[in-house]
Amino acid sequence: MKAIKLLCLLLLAVFILLPFVQVAQLSVISTLGTPDAPLGTVTTLNYRNIFASSALTSSLVNSVTYVTLNVALTLLVALPAAYAISRHQFRGKRAFFITLLAFRVTPPVVLSLPVFIWFSQLNLINTPIGIALVHCVFNVPIAIWILESFISAVPRAYDESARLDGYSTTRFFYTFLIPVIAPGIGVTMFFCFVFSWVEVVFARTLTVTDGKPITMAISNLFGFNTDVGLVMAMTVFSLLPGLVMIYFVRHHIARGFVVRA
Amino acid sequence: MARTNRPHPWMMLLPALAILVVVGVVPLLIVFHYSFYDIFTLQSRSWVGTQWYQDLLTSDRFYDSLARSLGFSALALSIQFPLGICIALMIPRSGPVRTGTLVLLALPLVVPWNMIPIIWLSLIDADTGLIGQAITAVGWEFDYKFNAIHTWALIAVMDTWHWVGLVAILSYSGLASISPSHYQAAAIDQASRWQVFRWVELPAMRGVLLMAFLLRFMDSFMIYTEAFGINAGGPAAATSFLTLDLGEEMRGFDYGPASARSIVYFAMTACVVWVFLRGFSREESGR
Repeated sequence: MKAIKLLCLLLLAVFILLPFVQVAQLSVISTLGTPDAPLGTVTTLNYRNIFASSALTSSLVNSVTYVTLNVALTLLVALPAAYAISRHQFRGKRAFFITLLAFRVTPPVVLSLPVFIWFSQLNLINTPIGIALVHCVFNVPIAIWILESFISAVPRAYDESARLDGYSTTRFFYTFLIPVIAPGIGVTMFFCFVFSWVEVVFARTLTVTDGKPITMAISNLFGFNTDVGLVMAMTVFSLLPGLVMIYFVRHHIARGFVVRA
Repeated sequence: MARTNRPHPWMMLLPALAILVVVGVVPLLIVFHYSFYDIFTLQSRSWVGTQWYQDLLTSDRFYDSLARSLGFSALALSIQFPLGICIALMIPRSGPVRTGTLVLLALPLVVPWNMIPIIWLSLIDADTGLIGQAITAVGWEFDYKFNAIHTWALIAVMDTWHWVGLVAILSYSGLASISPSHYQAAAIDQASRWQVFRWVELPAMRGVLLMAFLLRFMDSFMIYTEAFGINAGGPAAATSFLTLDLGEEMRGFDYGPASARSIVYFAMTACVVWVFLRGFSREESGR
């Protein structure tokens, strides 16, 4: 029985890893063919080409910038909200939940046109701030959901004793709550990071001439004679931050999804 | 004593609400406003009333796309839920295999969405792709460009690869909340494997499964980037889902009709969430 389970998990690993193997393989092969790297040879040319192109390297910086901003902003607003939902009963809580869920599942393509028009007036086009802000529409709900279940796992007596010791709510957050729910913050950061990093529709709509994210930089590599090797090398780069994040939260990935309505 | 300086719960919700108003509510109001106009440029537009809504809701194309999107969701969920739950049941509760499998399941989630069709197309490429070469070697005919069934199959496999991990991770987090004493009690009662699943494991997963169901239903129902990347809605509109029609109108600068369509899609989204929450609270009170 145990052997069968392991075999099944092994098959799963093959299924999941095969596309990654393909990417890695193509990324080290010369797919266009140059004088010093003929078609099909194994080479580091693709990776060197990335650093030779300022459009590609700056797109990496752009993506990291708006994702980091988004994660910081999301945590900042979601933490108090999650605490309020976890610890208080109040009128409108259910309506708030429905609103959160509705925005989480609203497809970006539905909002992309008005967000573009509205952000043009606010001068938020072509800046990482605009993308960081708009990604909150799906990340804030997710963050509140995850954080709420981690906070609810902390006994209420904990808050009460801190309050009796005279700590203000803000100081209680920094000194007590955040250290206790650190794994929850890690998981939240992971999911917010991921959903912001992989999102394409908003990131494309909001960058017209400048501040292109990595996803668009790769799309722009496609043309009449596409250098597939370069595309795949760039794809490898687009995976690295996610892999680092996974490594950090590997022990906590499946925690903190308690559902209460 | 300290109760007086505790902030009211709504004060703590305020920052989150403010952001959602800026990036969610205001854009919806803008799009609602535009949906009643014929827009040449944003400065010159004329009132058309409910014209765009009537056009959309009486067009066969809308209902064809709706049927295709529902069909795709049904296909995706009927593969990903049984598979995801099976995977979750196979993961050990501790040890390196547990962590390794969870990391494995999370991997496809970090791939940017527009890379996913690129990667899968290169995988089935007949000359250089790992799967494509294997298909050629066994002599199959695989033509995702012109054979609608093959396009559907490719998108379904790709979507499963992308998302089965989320279903499995959420299911597993439900399973991990079961205390060992429940299993012991079931063993004392000599419960069969099926009975353990039905009466111990499934109830523990119910909440997370409902949530996973909502997330997966909406994301597959409104699939855009990945499906467009494979075959741009082809062959002959066979994979032209709801969002692809919307994308087409926006690229054509048909802002009026696109706005009406956005509102209709958002209304569908809101209805699904409402039905889901009603179902959920019935489950809760039924316990």
